[in-house]
Amino acid sequence: MGSYLRSGLILMTFALVVALVLSGVYLLTLDPIAQAELREKLAAIKTILSDDQGLMINESHVPQNMEELDQRIWRSSDDGILYESTEHRGSVASPVYAFDTLDGRKALLITASSIGYGGDVTIIASFLETEGSWQLYRIEILDFSQETPGLGAKISDQTIKSRFSEIPQSGLISGVLVDQDSSSSVGRSEAQIRNAKQRGIILTSDVMTGATITARAVANAINTMTQFLTSEGKVR
Amino acid sequence: MANSIQILKKGITENNPVLIQALGMCPALATTTSAINGLGMGVATMSVLVMSNVVISMIRKLVPAKIRIPIFIIIIAGFVTMIDLLMHGFTYELWKTLGIFIPLIVVNCVILGRAEAFASKNPVIPSILDGLGIGIGFLLVLTALGAVREVFGNGTVFGLTLWGDAFNVFVIILPPGAFITLGLMAGLLNWISISRQEAAKLKEKAKKEQTAKKEGQS
Repeated sequence: MGSYLRSGLILMTFALVVALVLSGVYLLTLDPIAQAELREKLAAIKTILSDDQGLMINESHVPQNMEELDQRIWRSSDDGILYESTEHRGSVASPVYAFDTLDGRKALLITASSIGYGGDVTIIASFLETEGSWQLYRIEILDFSQETPGLGAKISDQTIKSRFSEIPQSGLISGVLVDQDSSSSVGRSEAQIRNAKQRGIILTSDVMTGATITARAVANAINTMTQFLTSEGKVR
Repeated sequence: MANSIQILKKGITENNPVLIQALGMCPALATTTSAINGLGMGVATMSVLVMSNVVISMIRKLVPAKIRIPIFIIIIAGFVTMIDLLMHGFTYELWKTLGIFIPLIVVNCVILGRAEAFASKNPVIPSILDGLGIGIGFLLVLTALGAVREVFGNGTVFGLTLWGDAFNVFVIILPPGAFITLGLMAGLLNWISISRQEAAKLKEKAKKEQTAKKEGQS
């Protein structure tokens, strides 16, 4: 009995010492982690608000810190979640930001997550309004840290992200699917890829072999965003 | 000094964790899709290995034999969490890419293996050298494996373009490519080792024959 108690006490002492050291490291890294995540978010926002010619918004409106970003809030909620979809196993995170483009269009930036291979895959997307119709313009992947390197983690490659860009409202309403989940096949030419997007079908099988689940998580996150925009009366 | 060098050298060559002992295969196969991923995972594992070896060697006389494994695991898990937090804050892109494999360093049998087989029985300095040797051996294999897979699968090395898409063999980037490349590397190391042993044997035989000849002449 005594030896069990002694062993338990020694084990507990070691666990306490390790926990104490870890709490110190946690406090030390708290600020650098928050800064790294903010830098990542600001860079992603700049990317999804740019087209091939450059920024679509006034340079001075690009947020450089948290305060400037907070000024762009369009919708927010106290619990951090604006919308949840059981159908797509996704959620829209608070807040959603709004920007005005140089050509007078409205841009909404929405962050959403859905379940990937190892955990949540989080994306941020820009939606552009053109004559009452909403188009998903560009996406950036904010978190794929639980996906397998070389397979699911390839979702952050530009070639793959660009496949999820410029999805018209018709595709969003149909529901976004990766081509492996669709019964109709998609050709490899630019025009065929664009046409498939009208029906919400995204070709990923040629650039993301063996990692359908991560691409499907991105599609589900986009579908959750569409449901959120529908609930807000934007996409009809 | 000679002994220290021997400990360090052993970890890299004759006790190489991946190519000889076939340990730590999961990160070796899964994370080495590029040279930078291999290097990052190698450095993270080596850091945990050296730090855990130091602490385990320091406390080796305080730890009751019955509960040594849970204590070693607590220490290793502590260092892995520390590395995870530091990479999250300071090497964000690499942290995102290596993802789930950083926390999984806890269950890398190379680390627990060295804690149990070496650090728990030896003083601090040899334990540091053992951790460094095995860690460098692990790092070199992972970086080489990542570089080979990146070159033949993607046409780049450390992100620098060599031949673009011209001669790419896509399967090398996929899991079967990891097994094929690792198998070839292990085969190459074995071939070098066998060739050296045979050369040494031939040298010794020639020496013996020369000595016998000399003795016959005298």
